[in-house]
Amino acid sequence: MSDITVPVAEAALRPGAWSFRLSVAACAMGIIVLAASVAAVLVWGVGVWGNNIPHVWGFDLIAYAWWIGIANAASLFASILVLRRHGLRTAVNRFAEAAALAAILAAGFYPILHLGRAWLFYWTLSYPSYTGLWPQFGSALVWDFWGIMSHIIVTSLFWYIGLIPDLATMRDRAAMAGRTTLARAYGLLALGWRGSVAHWHRHQAAYRMVAALVLPLLLWAQTVVALEFATTVVPAWHQARLPLHVIVTGLPSGLGIVLALAAVLRVALSLERFIDDKDMDLLGQLVACAALAAGLAYAHELLVGFLEEDPTTRAALAARVLGDGATAYWGAVLLVALLPQLLWSATLRRHALATVPIGLLAAAGVWLDRWSIVVDGLLRPHLPSMSRGYSPSLAEWGLLGGTIALFGLVLLLFGRVIPAVSMYETRHEESEAEAEEEER
Amino acid sequence: MSTSLPPRHGPDPAPEPPQPAALAPAPHNAVERRDALKLMGASLALAAVAGCDEAQEHGHPLYAPARAAHAEVSDAEYATVLELDGLSRGVFVRTRNGHAVKVQGNPRHPASLGATDVFAEASVLSLHDPNRSRRIRRDGRPVPPAMLDAAMERLRADLSARGGQGLRILTGPVSSPTIGRVMGAVLAAFPEARWHQHDPLSDDAALEAAMRAYDQPLISVPDPGRAGAILCIGADLLGQAPGHLRHAREWINAREAGRAPRLIVAEATPSITGARADLRIPLHPAEAEPFARAVAAALGVEGLAARAEHPAAGDVAALLRASPGAVVVAGLGQGAAVHALAHAMNAHLGAARRLLPHPLVRPEPMAASLVELAADMAAGRVTHLLMLGTNPAYDAPAALGFAEALRDLPFTLHLGFRQDETARLCHWHLPQPHPLEAWGDSRAFDGTPAIRQPATATLAEEARGEVELLSALLGAPLGAYQAVQETWRETWGEASFPARWAAALEEGLAGEAPPPLDLSLRPGWDRPSPPMPAGMAAVFAPDPHIRAGQEAHDAWLQEMPRPLTKITWGNAALMAPAMMVELGLAPGDEVELELGGRRVLAPCWPLPGHAAGCVTLPLGSGRRAGGPVGEGRGFDAYVLRPADGAWSAPGLSFRPTGRNRPPITTDSHHRLDPVEAIRSVLPGEVLPQPERDASLYRDWPYPGHAWGMAIDIDACIGCNACAMACQAENNVPVVGPLAVQQGREMHWLRVDRYHHGVDENPGASFQPVPCMHCEQAPCEPVCPVNATLHDHEGLNLMVYPRCVGTRTCSNNCPYKVRRFNWADHRRLLDTPARNPDVTLRTRGVMEKCTYCIQRITTARSQASTEGRPLRDGEVETACQRACPTRAITFGDINDPDSAVSRAKRNGRHYALLGQLGTRPRTTYLARVRTEVGS
Repeated sequence: MSDITVPVAEAALRPGAWSFRLSVAACAMGIIVLAASVAAVLVWGVGVWGNNIPHVWGFDLIAYAWWIGIANAASLFASILVLRRHGLRTAVNRFAEAAALAAILAAGFYPILHLGRAWLFYWTLSYPSYTGLWPQFGSALVWDFWGIMSHIIVTSLFWYIGLIPDLATMRDRAAMAGRTTLARAYGLLALGWRGSVAHWHRHQAAYRMVAALVLPLLLWAQTVVALEFATTVVPAWHQARLPLHVIVTGLPSGLGIVLALAAVLRVALSLERFIDDKDMDLLGQLVACAALAAGLAYAHELLVGFLEEDPTTRAALAARVLGDGATAYWGAVLLVALLPQLLWSATLRRHALATVPIGLLAAAGVWLDRWSIVVDGLLRPHLPSMSRGYSPSLAEWGLLGGTIALFGLVLLLFGRVIPAVSMYETRHEESEAEAEEEER
Repeated sequence: MSTSLPPRHGPDPAPEPPQPAALAPAPHNAVERRDALKLMGASLALAAVAGCDEAQEHGHPLYAPARAAHAEVSDAEYATVLELDGLSRGVFVRTRNGHAVKVQGNPRHPASLGATDVFAEASVLSLHDPNRSRRIRRDGRPVPPAMLDAAMERLRADLSARGGQGLRILTGPVSSPTIGRVMGAVLAAFPEARWHQHDPLSDDAALEAAMRAYDQPLISVPDPGRAGAILCIGADLLGQAPGHLRHAREWINAREAGRAPRLIVAEATPSITGARADLRIPLHPAEAEPFARAVAAALGVEGLAARAEHPAAGDVAALLRASPGAVVVAGLGQGAAVHALAHAMNAHLGAARRLLPHPLVRPEPMAASLVELAADMAAGRVTHLLMLGTNPAYDAPAALGFAEALRDLPFTLHLGFRQDETARLCHWHLPQPHPLEAWGDSRAFDGTPAIRQPATATLAEEARGEVELLSALLGAPLGAYQAVQETWRETWGEASFPARWAAALEEGLAGEAPPPLDLSLRPGWDRPSPPMPAGMAAVFAPDPHIRAGQEAHDAWLQEMPRPLTKITWGNAALMAPAMMVELGLAPGDEVELELGGRRVLAPCWPLPGHAAGCVTLPLGSGRRAGGPVGEGRGFDAYVLRPADGAWSAPGLSFRPTGRNRPPITTDSHHRLDPVEAIRSVLPGEVLPQPERDASLYRDWPYPGHAWGMAIDIDACIGCNACAMACQAENNVPVVGPLAVQQGREMHWLRVDRYHHGVDENPGASFQPVPCMHCEQAPCEPVCPVNATLHDHEGLNLMVYPRCVGTRTCSNNCPYKVRRFNWADHRRLLDTPARNPDVTLRTRGVMEKCTYCIQRITTARSQASTEGRPLRDGEVETACQRACPTRAITFGDINDPDSAVSRAKRNGRHYALLGQLGTRPRTTYLARVRTEVGS
């Protein structure tokens, strides 16, 4: 067994440092807030939120679309790496996958909790029932249900399949350290992996197949979220470009989070060797590219919107861009499209003090963009008499903060319990490099 | 004075224990009862039993379904009357399981003509109010009724000895012949006693002017149906004036017949009448008399004692002169000189108006009467004060010091519906029966008498009416039923009484309006008032929904947005938007208002069209007692009102406090311009009817009925009666001020208000918006669980048990008529006041207008029982039934001859947001532009 990956495995197996424990404690506090917020919604109903007519959706759908965007961009990134057998994947694809999974988990709270009667969520499923009633397949919400279910399944599969050989390594190391119970737990998850050629063959086939499955699903999930808005008669939402806008502007958030995570992991787990400057360069440039694409999406929105023939739609866009919604809109443009352009500078993108804030601010910017669509999209409804303000309640902030804590906790535990960087890929890369040197 | 009682019971001696004979069942016959009283030496305890109506003295139902399944008389309708400022409007009360659940107008009653107003609709809620007073109280603590009877007996003995000296009785305005008769007997028995009336909304100036002009306490009733033009000087003819429902109907009938009377409104505070005016003149209160004088002068009225100028007078006079039967109406708050000028102008113009005897039993200047009472109280000339159905501790001007004087009186008794501000200061408090549960009689604004009969068993066992209390003073306790019967037996004569009594209960009318008086103007009628000093003036005005505060405890009325301001749950100092800008005030900025050394904090709020240089302070808010619904909502304008009850006062000053505390309102815009929602046409103009949009979807077939609605924007006066009727009919919950502030009010039908024209003096249009029941309803395809569907007659319906609450349907409703249950309202709704025909909705489901599907179902089964097809007009939605101007038409659009089909063929027909292709079933008829100069 190669020794290269020892620090990676050790990072997973060694007792937690104080900073780690502090972070876990903070996230655990957040989980308590999450539990309280979820309980409040279930006990008192969605009335504890700040929604009203016409703002029947607010933080719930904003956060949902936002988390889906993060998950999408992260798993899109990971699957492209897998499919292209890109060198970077050794470094970051495992935690990109983990980030995607954690984001999906966080997103999964919203579609169910936001229902008036959350315990009846399964009525959107097509299941045989004595009532003989089926969901209405014409509703974008039914599509969404399928979308999020497929997303959860495929993302988890993608992450898990990639993890199997490493789980086997963990099993072996735990067994060598004499920790039998832990070894059994890892062994159960490793599905009896022995590292035979047949195993490797099937593993690679399965991994790449699932990675290929991820791609259309990503478009699908974001598109469906966007269609929930685009298929309505609300002037600001009723646009064919909305799915594209949501997909493209969603990318910088997920990539930004991956970038920030990579920078943090590098420092926190002393993995500079595995996530090297080259990796950070590639990742930083990718974020900058995604930001450029988002910038084009905004330009397209303004161009098409103000050339729009329908005055109602124009007025709705004007209210978002120039009226009461200007802060959120231009905040989003600044953080999503403009700020990440700094990453074209090599010095900045190698510096954690620059990449972490830029990555996180890009994610925050995408949140502002979703606010601009969901909330400020209703600034100019068809009948002005029913336009009202929306201000989120404590329970909504709690839910948002709580899901962020959940996201953080999943990643922290993952960084500790599961190899943060793909060990077998790293070993493979090392041996390939050695072979190349020998050939020379 | 006995000392056998605990000290908390005060100076009254202990009651005697009930005598065994008194515990026997009370005899049913009143005469026998009085004999028994004499025989038993007027046992004190018996009075407690005899003072109340027995259970079988119930009202006589109009329509009790004869079908076996519903044989119990508990599902019935009663014809009765409800009072507003002492004057009645005829209503039908529908009961279910013995409980009054819905009030509708009585078509035969001259003050209703089948319509209702918000107050009549909301009376069902106040009847079932859990915060009603139900117990007789002594110093705030419940006591057995026998104690009161003992106290009354002592009071009688005490007062008889000195001829009633020191006894004062204060009532609200009384039009009831029976109360008048019993009061007369009391005043005869106690010659030194005095009767005062108090009504914070009394129009004393009109009475004064009638005396000046005709030397008689008469009233002038305009006839908008015959008048070619109507000049309202501060008169809210369609909204708040006596007889407003009738005036609104006459006005719209004339308008629809093409004889549109020119409606000219000169007012300081914009009213719904002003909103519909053809010419509106914002008028500072100081300008009112000069304006009226200038118009009178321009008309050539003789006998003017002074002359004045007003820029608009010439045009107004020309319009009046050119319109046959033009009538001038001076309203509440105008001075006696203005009212007298109106009389003179009407006499000069040969106006379409009737001079009728005053409908009140004893018309008097009430503000002066109260001032006199307060002076007597302060001077120690009052020892016993009985306050019947009135709340002067709150609604007397604070400057009068009435509440303070009240504390010092030796004996005070309050008969009232709640433990209000006055009840808290009185030794005794008696619960008053609700008008829907007690016998009585009353007169309408034109003097038409009617019997008030109970529609439901009393919900407050210990409640006593004015008659019971006053007759107890006489020593001959009398039930209200017997008293009313006696009054009318005397009036009609013994022979014709049984038949006429039965007819009166059946029709809801006990006779006709008195014939008009034919009088000529008395010389010397014009007595100019001294000019009002310049400077900022305060204008006091009744609140459109809670009036002078009597209705402040009705949650339906509190939560319904006021017609023009859209303010709910409180009030605000209303002023012209330009004036606010001048003063550097933002909407909702709190100001300290000071008038005559008294101060009050109030948020200010812009009201387009408000006269400059004055501020309207709506009365009725800032209640300090009476229950949680009304307490502490808004500010109390009575604090600033001058002691003489003046309607406007100069010398108001402002001091911004720097806080912003906006009133709770459903309108965040202060003004909305009708982009496309409100269409208007010139008389005779036809709107282009758009081609039907091509649709990928097939039309649904409707082989049977297809329900549709047409709402005439031109007829709508924005009075909110439809919205309130809908609330009562459909068990629409009250959500409370915080939820309204969050934008979560539940009204299935809202009335949108749009302003058009300049801010200084805009016109306004009202648009009732129920569900549109779209043919291609956008809400339906987006529901993931099929919870909102089309039915076979084209109704767009909610299946409440299927709804999971995604709220997507509301997102996709361009009209935003869907309402979501953000909280569970069922506990508060599940009272006897609920309509049992309509389901209560759980938390987390969407709801909305159903076109009153329960009424459709009832009518359909009625028709099917009788083996005939449904007739046009047989199904009336609650909103349609309530509307004073019949703006709402409902029926079968498959039937080309139905009223709704005819309305939809009108040239003014248009669909709201028709361009979206939703093809709504509810459509509108455009407003007709008849404004002067259009």
